[in-house]
Amino acid sequence: MGGQPLYLEPRLEPRLRSLLDAPALLHTLTDALGSPLNMVVPDQLADNLQQFRSVYGTHHLSGQVYFAHKANRSSALLRRLAATDAGVDVASLAELQHALGAGLTPDRIAATGPKNPEFLWLAARTSVTVSLDTRGELEQLATLVRKHALPRVRILLRLSGFEASGVRVLSRRSRFGTAVGESGPLLEDVERHADVVDLVGVAYHLDTTSLTEKATALEGCLRVLEECRSRGLRPRAVDIGGGFGVNYLAHGGQWEQYTTGLTEAVLGSRPPLTYGGHGYGLRNEAGTLRGTLGLYPAHRPVAGARYLDELLSHPAASLGGRPLAALLLEHLYDLHTEPGRALLDQCGLTLTKVLEVRGQESGGPLLVRLAAKADDVALEEHGVLMDPVVVPRHPPGTGADVGAGPDAGAEPVAVHLFGSLCLESDLITRRTVFLPRRPEPGDLLAFANTAGYCMDFHATRAQHQPSARKVAAWQEGDTWRWCLDDQYWPTTPVGGAQ
Amino acid sequence: MRYDSITDAIGNTPLVRIDPAVHGLRNIDLYAKLELLNPFGSVKDRAAWNMARPHLSAAAEGSGQVVELSSGNTAKALAVLAGMHGLTFKSVTNRMRIPEIKDLLLLLGAEIEELPGQSECLDPTATDDPLTLFHRTLSEPDSTYLHTDQYFNPRNTEAHFTGTGPEIVKDLDGRAPNWFIACVGTAGSSTGVARALREHDPAVRVAGLVAAKSDFIPGIRTIDEAHEVGLFDPGTYDSIETVSADEAIEGMLTLNRRCGILAGPTGGAAYFGAVRQLRAVDEELAGEGSSDRQSAVFIVCDRVESYLSYVRQRRPDLFGRPRRRNSPADLSDAEIRTAPAIGVTDAQAWIATGEPLVVDLRSPYAYAALHIDGSVNIVEELFEELLHGGLPFSRNRPVLLACPVGEKSARYAALLTRMGHPDVRSLTGGIIAWRDAGAPLVRD
Repeated sequence: MGGQPLYLEPRLEPRLRSLLDAPALLHTLTDALGSPLNMVVPDQLADNLQQFRSVYGTHHLSGQVYFAHKANRSSALLRRLAATDAGVDVASLAELQHALGAGLTPDRIAATGPKNPEFLWLAARTSVTVSLDTRGELEQLATLVRKHALPRVRILLRLSGFEASGVRVLSRRSRFGTAVGESGPLLEDVERHADVVDLVGVAYHLDTTSLTEKATALEGCLRVLEECRSRGLRPRAVDIGGGFGVNYLAHGGQWEQYTTGLTEAVLGSRPPLTYGGHGYGLRNEAGTLRGTLGLYPAHRPVAGARYLDELLSHPAASLGGRPLAALLLEHLYDLHTEPGRALLDQCGLTLTKVLEVRGQESGGPLLVRLAAKADDVALEEHGVLMDPVVVPRHPPGTGADVGAGPDAGAEPVAVHLFGSLCLESDLITRRTVFLPRRPEPGDLLAFANTAGYCMDFHATRAQHQPSARKVAAWQEGDTWRWCLDDQYWPTTPVGGAQ
Repeated sequence: MRYDSITDAIGNTPLVRIDPAVHGLRNIDLYAKLELLNPFGSVKDRAAWNMARPHLSAAAEGSGQVVELSSGNTAKALAVLAGMHGLTFKSVTNRMRIPEIKDLLLLLGAEIEELPGQSECLDPTATDDPLTLFHRTLSEPDSTYLHTDQYFNPRNTEAHFTGTGPEIVKDLDGRAPNWFIACVGTAGSSTGVARALREHDPAVRVAGLVAAKSDFIPGIRTIDEAHEVGLFDPGTYDSIETVSADEAIEGMLTLNRRCGILAGPTGGAAYFGAVRQLRAVDEELAGEGSSDRQSAVFIVCDRVESYLSYVRQRRPDLFGRPRRRNSPADLSDAEIRTAPAIGVTDAQAWIATGEPLVVDLRSPYAYAALHIDGSVNIVEELFEELLHGGLPFSRNRPVLLACPVGEKSARYAALLTRMGHPDVRSLTGGIIAWRDAGAPLVRD
């Protein structure tokens, strides 16, 4: 098995931990509704929102926190969100319909991303704020509003290609937004269409974990807003998108040990840690490590609301060195954010049933086949490495102490997790997973914290295999209650599932 | 010493004995090789000059550019060398986390390209990371770049094999030290020196130091990062130990304050790692009762001045200053709560009749964008500084203080009141309340 087991224990906050401590419920649900099964915990979303709100509070900033809908299809989560004061950003016609249907009023919805005419029309018709990517999109919107005599639309301009002064930051190319250098003609168009559009502000969304790149973009936005004001426009908001990250792992030490182990395995100084010697982007060239580790930084001490706090506290180098939050506040701008993954931190998990556990003749890792496809648990697809939690069918002893530590006498095992598709590539993870005990057919493997992008974002019905059903769960006192995702409304928890 | 060119001053740095009263080793003489005294400030001057020298004149004819993946000292030396030969220099890096070094490089005329952070939504099929793209540009057929390639260039190691190493032997009266302790960055100095010393005496023991994985020490790699360096060969080192950033700073302070050696954190890490490693050896020697003294050498890679912000971030206590008079920090919560304040409507009337001096505490950029007509802008930091000296305006003139939400202005209203101003008020709710009430803001 190659030395000590390298665990990557998931970070479990009290709600998810408590849910995993109820194995009878989890087995009842999967027996009734099948495997895989997605569970969402709507109340956690409201708590996460509060954390973001408190960062706004610390910096005296007003503005909206928009949940990025595409991170999860759940109706329960959206309806729970509707019962808070948050907004939602939608990226398709169906998402917009879903948001309106869940009770989010148009003033709390923002339409972003690539848009087709139906999406634009419904957005304009219902007076949601529209984030525009290009001059062409502005033209299209203005034409639509005039032709169909729609109300004046509130718009944001999504910008990209920000330049830091002094130091050039190389960036991945983005297909979204108008280059800052082209903002002049864009603003002229806004002025020309002043009768049908109302400029609320500017926006950016950078796909990066780097604080400094985002700070550079925010400074760039402040400069464009100043340009807007000098033209007599009255912008009052900056939308800085999301990408604040999630900390998936309980222990930083495990993450460091694992990645060092992976490096050594790629260099051949320890046995492979992956199926078929996969290197996650790293490769060995004559004893030197080349390539880039294509993994999500799964242990991130600064993520979510804390990341936002650090970004807002970051000094604006090109604007006198004051913190970005102070600049936003002093310029009287609202701050809009669009966290997807970070708002769904600890909001759900995916349950999968063990179908088969097979030893190998060579004595390598056990082969464990799950009643799920790789797309159902898309952790790997997003480069997130995290161990599943074993929920035994027959808990050892009398108590049901799942997730509370290794059971007495249980030996750690190395396993490879396979899906139920008849494809060699259907690996739930490419890496060797270490579990504190050998799973048995009928046990559940629970993948924690999958609600953000890793639950239904990639799920398909390939080979007529079912994709996961979804339930919403909440606590009443010490008891977990549940209903089908679609049946959940904010009134449900009060009256109990009907 | 008279030279024709500054490059002649590269190398031949002093080897200075560390006072045993400081390190406490009784049977080992510890020496610091003061590479910080190279003309551009670091050990990297040697490698930069050795790598670039053969190609500079040819590159100058073709109006080329020197490029390197460097986060600091190599870039600094190459920028100077390029400039001296009429060339430009570009550094590409994602490790440049020291603002002073970045500024210094810009000052020296360098162009800096930073690699972007990792993607938040990974694309597992992506093959073109920015570093790969960079290497591709370098190898294009008509490329005029002079890429010094410090992580793979054998002339990096050679500079130390022919320079640094033999200098150490010469200064130890023709003997190699028993121990050589080196931080691993490009691995050039540790590999080159180790080879030179071992050629002299195969028994030399070489200790490599890397940064703890979660830490950041400028100029030192973590063990994972060391594997990405072509010059790095684990076989060079008899042991590889980690040093934390805190330990590096601790070592740096000892060198700075007790030895008069103005080393940066890398030199501090080397000193700390050396003493830690040698303490056990020293006790063994004492136990054996041997009369043989051993010697050890570590490298002081560069100077402390560039790392002030790095140290300040980790050890703010080292920069503690005495408390100053008239500071808003001295105020009690009660004083702030009961500070004289005035709402927007009353303030408008007061401005019309009482002619208070309206002081806007926001930044000049925000003030220039929109402000209360007739107000003056004294940015908060400046205002605080002014107050340390006393009241900055007459007691006879009423004052209205404004900030974004009325929080900071309340503090200063309380402070000015305590300082004896009879009629100072804070604008309740600040400029935001003023705007929300529909009161006029101008840009003039």
